[in-house]
Formats: sequence, structure tokens, C-alpha cells
Amino acid sequence: MARTPLRRLTRFEYTNAVHDLLNVDASAAAELPADEITNSFDNNAAVLTVSALHAEKYVLVSEALAKLAAQDLSGLVGCDVAALGEETCARGFAAKLGRRAFRRATTPTDEQNLMSAYEAGRTGGSYGEGIEVMVRAALQSPDFLYRLETTSPADAGATQVPLSAYELATRLSFLIWSSGPDDALLDAAARGELSSKAQVAAKAREMLAHPRARAAIARFFEQWTGARRLDVTTKSATTFPDFSPALRDAMAAELPAFVEHVLWSGDGSLKALLTEPVAFVNAELASVYGVAAPPSSGAAPQLVSLRPEEARSGILTQAGFLSVQAHPDQTSPVLRGKFVRAMLLCQPPAPPPPDIDITLPDVTEAKTARARLAGHLAAGASCNGCHSLMDPIGLAFENFDAMGRYRQDEGGVALDVAGEITGATDPGLAGSFVGVRAMAEKLAASSQVRACLATQWFRFAAGRSEAEADECSLGTMRDSFASSNGNLLELIVATTQTDAFWFRSPITP
Amino acid sequence: MIQRARSSHPLRFSRRNLLRGSLGMTALFPLLDAQRADGQNAAPTRLVVFTTPNGTRNSLFWPTGTETNFQLNKITTPLEAYKSKLTFLKGIRLNDSLQNGALGGTLGSEHARGTGGMLTARPLNSGSEFKSFGNTTSGWGSGQSIDQYLAEKLNPATPFKSLQLGVHVRDTEVRARIAYRASNQPIPPREDPKDVFKTVFAGATNATPGTPNPELERLWAQRKSVFDLTNGETNRVLGLVGREDREKLQAHLAAMREVESRLVGAPGSSASGGGSVCQPPTLTAVNLSVDDEYAQAGQLQMDLAAAALACDQTRILTFQWSYSESEHLFQFLGKSGNHHVISHDFSASGANFEAYNAIQTWYAEQLAYFLGKLDSYKEGSGSLLDNTLLLWATEIGESTQHDLTLMPYVLAGSANGKVAPGRLLDFSANRRDNNQLLVSIGQALGVADLNTFGDPSGAAGPLPGLVS
Repeated sequence: MARTPLRRLTRFEYTNAVHDLLNVDASAAAELPADEITNSFDNNAAVLTVSALHAEKYVLVSEALAKLAAQDLSGLVGCDVAALGEETCARGFAAKLGRRAFRRATTPTDEQNLMSAYEAGRTGGSYGEGIEVMVRAALQSPDFLYRLETTSPADAGATQVPLSAYELATRLSFLIWSSGPDDALLDAAARGELSSKAQVAAKAREMLAHPRARAAIARFFEQWTGARRLDVTTKSATTFPDFSPALRDAMAAELPAFVEHVLWSGDGSLKALLTEPVAFVNAELASVYGVAAPPSSGAAPQLVSLRPEEARSGILTQAGFLSVQAHPDQTSPVLRGKFVRAMLLCQPPAPPPPDIDITLPDVTEAKTARARLAGHLAAGASCNGCHSLMDPIGLAFENFDAMGRYRQDEGGVALDVAGEITGATDPGLAGSFVGVRAMAEKLAASSQVRACLATQWFRFAAGRSEAEADECSLGTMRDSFASSNGNLLELIVATTQTDAFWFRSPITP
Repeated sequence: MIQRARSSHPLRFSRRNLLRGSLGMTALFPLLDAQRADGQNAAPTRLVVFTTPNGTRNSLFWPTGTETNFQLNKITTPLEAYKSKLTFLKGIRLNDSLQNGALGGTLGSEHARGTGGMLTARPLNSGSEFKSFGNTTSGWGSGQSIDQYLAEKLNPATPFKSLQLGVHVRDTEVRARIAYRASNQPIPPREDPKDVFKTVFAGATNATPGTPNPELERLWAQRKSVFDLTNGETNRVLGLVGREDREKLQAHLAAMREVESRLVGAPGSSASGGGSVCQPPTLTAVNLSVDDEYAQAGQLQMDLAAAALACDQTRILTFQWSYSESEHLFQFLGKSGNHHVISHDFSASGANFEAYNAIQTWYAEQLAYFLGKLDSYKEGSGSLLDNTLLLWATEIGESTQHDLTLMPYVLAGSANGKVAPGRLLDFSANRRDNNQLLVSIGQALGVADLNTFGDPSGAAGPLPGLVS
């Protein structure tokens, strides 16, 4: 079976895990370096390393977070020091903290180590300082920072190794909550309640209903669409003076709200995700969509219906997505087409030939993107071979400018938003269409797109690219996704029913 | 309010709180004693790598004239004041393993290869992890970069064995990493001046050496205990995982070792010396997500970099502007369009032609500012700049071509007399591999017997006539 490299917690996972472990605002974890992005996801275990910068921040961030947690000492430790004494309380906390932080039953050595840390703080300091140093030690431990899978049975001769109950609980927890397991989940593991696939599926459904699942699952969609990159997206101030940091924040807040709407309030289908013409806005974002500002009621984005004449279409026409998949000063049909090709069709265009001449004809006189991109066609097969797979898709998005506003012309020239998907493996995708919505309807009905989404989700869930040995697991996920009519929650549950989820590869000595 | 991770925006720190905390500890750092006995030299030799993105335009970059009598070209005009301290290295190519169609040279786009191969002289690892221009894919860089090699080899007695600073780098993939501890082990730059200030100048080292600080000493002792526990546990776990994972954990251990002495206040981990004092620069507010504040963010980082070198917090420093293939905006220069798109405009008269020249010239101005800063610190009979070897590099050559055969490399400073600057060394007729530049840098920094560096497809030995 394919090997999953040792998974280091991402900054997002670290933040959630600390929050859930210590019940503190863990935003100090923002000081950790941003995680590296590969294949659109920031949790690919192969490239997540620990540099000296990480090491430094693990120390300093753990100190800040431990200090915060120790402000409510009795809430944190949950022990009557006056009645039981410091030593007893500290020992009890070491056991409790160790189990949650390391996501397994603690050993006497674990507890002794945590008590040594406690002593280092208590000596010359206070009980609270001792607890603080203990928390730091837990947060800096490799057992916390990595998702170690070392407690399952010996590997000798095995082709695949079953996980221990705690390890399975940990996979489940990070899959659905992007965080460590809580006490209830660890208890369930300890009681053997995660022994069958049916039990794990039931537990997964239960966990999906927990509020923790919302931001965690949204994270997949944020990365899959590239919308997570809004953080670092900038727009030309002359062309897009309205693209303010506040508007960018509103755009970033929309996707998780929309995903929550589709998955937990709607029918949970891929079709709704790709086509539903609604938005989640504040007053600023409402103006981008040309709709009335919602009645002000707190910071949460409000559900609004979008103007029919714009033919908006789910995540594909969200302002955040359209802003990210564009250049700072103009749209990029290439980027948008490439997104559809790579992330919805799983057909990333092939690399260009090594001797390619990337010189583009001078097209500064062209008014529209369609005219500008004609250069790719004119340049002959060396460009057009790949660009014919991207440009005709991306041009269907041209009714939406580089920050997602609707438009009917560019530079005074009426826009032609006809598009075409060529070279798909699903014959149902062949043929031309006009505009994003028409394309999205085709995509939502396509078996190729469903299979691709299962693959994308697998990469995110497993923290690695799929391998040949994963075909069976991917098949389980695709079948379940297809038979549920493209239900996204069912796809997530199906992940927990696969060999890739239940086993790990034997270690290579 | 208790808050889970927000999915998109890491929380911003309150600058006021941060400054309250750190300025209280702001130190008067002992400046390197210029007379300190350190072999024959008064001050140590420093290495700086200064990178700007998106190549150059050869016709407006290279000086004209002879080796010792040359005139600067349009793009480098801002460097006129430092001309006598510059060495233009014309005719360096990236080695075969990084060239199109050769060896591993199709791994990653030219932007990606030129970045990952800049200081490693090695091809990128194969992999599907990173896609860049043209959808070529690759993994991380495949070897140690020269700065990290020197940090390890020379192991300077400074709190930071090396420092990586960046300005609006933002990107987190292969085209945004130049420093590698080893294959697959990139080092991200610090992009936030507040973080640099806090870590380098108001952080773990004792503000005033020699003055007891019980609170700090207790923190150090606690950290030491936690380091010991963590290292012990990591070593235990090492024995339980497979080979590949072991490498990852060993890298983790090495990273911890690198920061430990600094964070626990070990002897020799803080700047030593006496005499005059140097002060960290004044921190002013800057919004890192606003492209128009590029110059302000850059200036703060340059001030901090120069002070870190002057105060002997580190001797090896990389300084990265944006990322390769950068789409940074230059509204503040009155230019519309993003840098990468502009860099591909071929017309010799259009607005983008002028915009590209203006941006490249602006970057040269930034370098001039930094050189001025380094030159303002006097050390012995010279300056910090004189005791430094600075490499100005970019990931590709002629920008419209993604060329990797004529890299626009310039050195500044004389590496404590090892390099005689004020020259235009032209190897155009007999191109040299970038390996040789890296060998020369290693020799100039004091590894006299260094003869090869990087992929063996590149030539051995130093660049002729550069390092004495």
C-alpha cells in the first residue's frame, strides 16, 4: 500500500488542536510560518518540513499559548489544589494533558517527562508556572507536532498494517475536524467502539454534525478553489480601487458560509456547490454582486439571491474565486480554464516541450481577452496544444472581471462568452456552451468531474497524492459519491471506509 | 473570545502590544569591536544574497567598457555611487542540470529552476508537488544552498547561524525559496519586520550582557529543560519510524539544535565584543498586504538586515524581494500591470517596456540603499560593506526569454579584501557555470579548499580571477 509520509500538523491544524486542547484563543499560532502549498493543498506531508524558523516559532508560540492557558488555572487543570495539593493536581493534569496532546494512552515515561517540565517551572517559580512549562513541553513534543502512527502492531511481513484504535481516532478527527480527537473520541477508541467500518461511519456522521466540522471541511474547498490565496491576492489600485482589505475579508468569509449552506442546510450536492445562484455577503460584497445590502445583523455574511441576468453559478462565480483566478489588473482566462481543467477535470495540461519558444506576439492593441489570447492560437501547436485545453473554458468566465463584478463588455467591445471543453474523457462534456452557468450544469452532471472531486478530496484527506495502490480506495469513494448523486458529505464518510484510511504501509527500516 | 482558527486570515497581532513588550527590552547592542583579534582581520567576513525577481534586460543592464574602465548601463544607474565596490560577473550560466532539456532541467519552469538552483547549483527534485509556469512540475530543491553550507561549515559564533529575510515574498512554494538546509529542506524567509525586530533585537538574548536578569535566566533554564525532554522524545520516536520519516525527524532535531543555544542564552550565543554600541533601527508601522508599501517594508527589512550584520547577530544573510515570477504591482511608480506580465512584453517602445525598465531600476535603487546602509557602518579602516560579499541575483536572465545562460549576477563589497571590486569580469566568450560562482563565494568566505559545489554537471573550481 502507498506510503503516507509522517504528517506534521499544518498551522491550521496546530491552531485548532491547541484551541481544542487548552480552550484558548490560539491565534498566536499565526506566528508559525505559512505552510507550503502543493497541488493546491497546504497539507501535503511530503513537503511539510521543520526549518530552524519553525523550531524557533514552536518554542515561542508554545510559550505564548501556555501563558494564555495558565491564566485560568483551575479551568485548565480542573483540580482542587487546596484539597489535593499541587503535586497530585500536577500529576493528574500530566496524564490528562498527555493523552489529549499525544492522542493516545500515555506511558509512565510520558507522564514523568511532563512532570519534569512541571518541576522546571515550579522550581523557583509557582505552581502555575510549573503547569505552564508542562503545557509548553506538550506543545513542543513530536507526539503533538506530528501525527505519529507507531503504536500499532509489528510490521513483520505485513503488506499493510492496521492502525491502533487511537491512531484511527486521530485520522478521523483530523479528517473531519482538522484537529486532535476530544476526550469523547479517545474514550470511544479506548472502548473499542471504532472497530468496525459501520461504527466508524456512524462516528464520522456524528462528527460531521459537530460545529468543529464546518471550518475544517470548508478548508478543503478554500484550497481546492484557490480562494485561500485571497490572503495574498492584490489588485491594481487604478483598475480596481474598490478592492480593499475589508472587501477581501468579506470575499474570504463567503466561501465557508456558502459551503456550510450547501453541505449542512442544503442538499449537500456537488451540483448545488457548482450552480446555486446565491451569495453570502456584507454590504461591501453586496455591491460587487449588484444586490441590495442585507439588513445588518452582526458580522456573519448574509444569504442573498443573485441577479438572474448575471447567471451566477455557485463557487465558480464567487468574487473571491474570480479574484484569485485572475491577474491583478485583468482577468486570466488561462488561470480560470486551468483551474477547471486541473481541479474539476483532473487533466492538468501536459508540460510544454523543452524547446518551446514562449515569445508571445505583441497584442497590446487587443481590447478583449479573447483577442489577446488569439496569440496562443496564432503561435501554432507549441502554445495552442495546451492552451486549447484551457483558454476556451476560461473565456466562458469573461462576464466576470478580475474582482468578480459582472460586465457585458470590455474596452467598449461586447463580450463573447462562448466556451468549449475539448479532450475530456467523459463524452458528455463535449460540445460548446455559453457562459459559466451552462458550463457548470454540464460539469455537475459529469462522471469525470465527480471522479475528479473524489481524487481531490483524497489528496486533501490523505495528505499526499494518490498512487496506483490507492485505486481500490478511490473506487470506494467514487462509487459512494456517484450513488449518492454527488453528495459531498457522503464522499467524506466514504473516505473512512477505505483501506487507505484503515491501514498504513509497513515501515522501511 | 475563544476562537478557532479562522480559515482564511491568520489573526494580526496588535502592533502596540508587541512594541510595548519588546521595546522594553530594546538593547544597546555591543557593536563588533573593530579591533577584535580575529586572525589578521579586524572584522568577520559576511555573506549577503540579495535577490530581485523576474530577470533582467541585457541590453540595459550590462556595463560597457573594459574590465576596469566601464560605464554603468541604464538599469544600474542608481548604483553609480558604489561602482568602485561592484563586480559585474558577465557570462555565467546555470549548469546543465538546470538548463532546458538537459539532465533534470525540465523539472520545474525556468523561474522555479532558477530559484531552487540559484544557490544550490542543483536541479529540482522530481515530483508532482509544485506546478509553475507551463505546468512543469517538480519537488523542492535537491541540495544544500551555499549560504547554508557556509553556515554549517564555518559555524560562526553568532546567535543566528544565518538569517533569511524577505519582502512581500508571500508565496510558499518552490519559486519562493532560495535557502536549503538540505535536499527537500527549504528555509522560509521572515517577512514581517516586527518579527525580525522582536526575534533578533528584543528576543532571547540578554539585553545587556553582564547584567544579571533573573527572570530571563529562569526562562532559559525552563527552555533548556523542555529542549532536553523534546530532543529525548524525538530521539525515541526516531527508532520507531521508517527511513524517510527518520530523515524528517532528524531535520527537526537539527533545526532545534540550531535555535537552542540562542533561545537558552548559552554562552557565546549573544553578540560579544565591546566598545561602541549599535542600535536596532526604529520600527515604523507598515501594512504588509499593501503592494504600495513595498518600499517601506523593504526599507525596514534592509535596516534590520544591516543592523543584524553590524551587531554580529549573523554573518550569513539572504534577502529576498517578492518571489520568482512575481506579480507584484508597482502603482507607486505609476505603472499599471503586474511585474511578471510586464517582464514579458517584447515591444521595444511600449508602455510595458518602459515600465519594466523602471521597475528594474527601482530594484537597483533598493540595492543602492542597502549598500549605503552597509557602507555607513565603519569597521576598522573600512566599512561593513567592505567586509561583506554581497551577491545580487535573480532567477532568470533575459526576462522575455526565460533565459538561464547569461545570468545577471553582480557582487558588491570585497569580502574583507578577498575580492578586488570595481571590475567587469566578462566570461561571455567562455561561459562559466554557476557552480563556479558558488565555489568562489565559499572561498571568499574562508573555505579556501572548496573546489566543487552543486551538481557535477557544472564545472569544478572557482571563477578565474575573482577571489584572491
